Amino acid sequence: MKLKVLPPTLRQDRRYFAFELIGGNRTDRSDLLREIFSCASSLVGDKGSSECDIKLLDFEDSKGIVRCLRDRMDMTRAVLASVTSVNGKPVIIHVLGISGTVHGATTKYLEGCTVYSPEEKT
Amino acid sequence: MPAGSWRNYLAERSFYDLSVHSVPDGINTADELVSMAKHLGFAGVGLSNHSTAEGPLKSNGVEVFDIFRTIELVASNPSKLHGLVGKYRNKVDVLAVHGGDEGINRAALENSNVDVLLHPSTPKGSGLNHVLARSASENNVAIGFDIDSLIMSRGGRRVHSLSHFRDYLALSRKYDVPMLLTSNASSVFGLRAPREIIALAVLFGMDKDEAITALSETPLGIVQKKRHDKNYVCEGVEILEPSLSVQEDE
Repeated sequence: MKLKVLPPTLRQDRRYFAFELIGGNRTDRSDLLREIFSCASSLVGDKGSSECDIKLLDFEDSKGIVRCLRDRMDMTRAVLASVTSVNGKPVIIHVLGISGTVHGATTKYLEGCTVYSPEEKT
Repeated sequence: MPAGSWRNYLAERSFYDLSVHSVPDGINTADELVSMAKHLGFAGVGLSNHSTAEGPLKSNGVEVFDIFRTIELVASNPSKLHGLVGKYRNKVDVLAVHGGDEGINRAALENSNVDVLLHPSTPKGSGLNHVLARSASENNVAIGFDIDSLIMSRGGRRVHSLSHFRDYLALSRKYDVPMLLTSNASSVFGLRAPREIIALAVLFGMDKDEAITALSETPLGIVQKKRHDKNYVCEGVEILEPSLSVQEDE
């Protein structure tokens, strides 16, 4: 039996971070996910991580979306800022924008955006 | 404040990162760092490599990006530090002191020619107390909060950095000492966007408004200090030359 979906008034408010991964060409989704969770547990601990409710929804071509609770936007941003490397390669997670829906985050911030690459610029 | 106006409020600000290390201090060249800082949304950076930039540089005529000459003085004792301050004061925009020793911290905070004290923590503790904070306030020397000690370290070291930052914050609030947030980056991957830095500052108890000031107004105040003017003597004293029109009237 499938559980009934919660009515809107009982759902938690969420925010969606659109981000680009600078320096992480061909980074695997699972590697990034592992790194974000490891950084979250190191920075804010298990309690803080559970409060943020971070989830990596989508990640492709160095662009992706992270979901968190609205009340913990700053903490989530700090967790994303504390990610320094994936698989030993130095990276930056640069938040492009925050939206209330996945659709909003995708259309406003991710579509047509080219990921910054430090090698190409010089 | 509603979310929309908060966003506009942030968008109107210009953010500056006054401690970024290029070669030979760091790994990346000045161009690479400037390009990355620009992408992340900064209006200017202070490069510790003082030979690269001669005053604020303008890029391609449309977009203005400021590059400030910064020097981070490393001295083994207070008298050497005072000598170095005198030597470099008129050559750079931002004069920072690398602390970490009780004597050096005290000497830096008692010298009004110093702009900012970075990494004051000593092996024994935070390196600051109420006496030093009071002289920092009197001499208008800012205390630097380097974000790289929060993102580049883990475990015990990060715990110590966070608790030292809490101490500095409490002292700065009590004695009204200017606070400065910097990335202290030694490569392009050490840089973080202004909002990310603000979010990290919130972690150790800074208010958002304080963090914004520490990233926009305080650095701007430092680089615009009047002492670069040749008529400037010291805080509150300035040589006024009679203007030509007055002389003609006589």
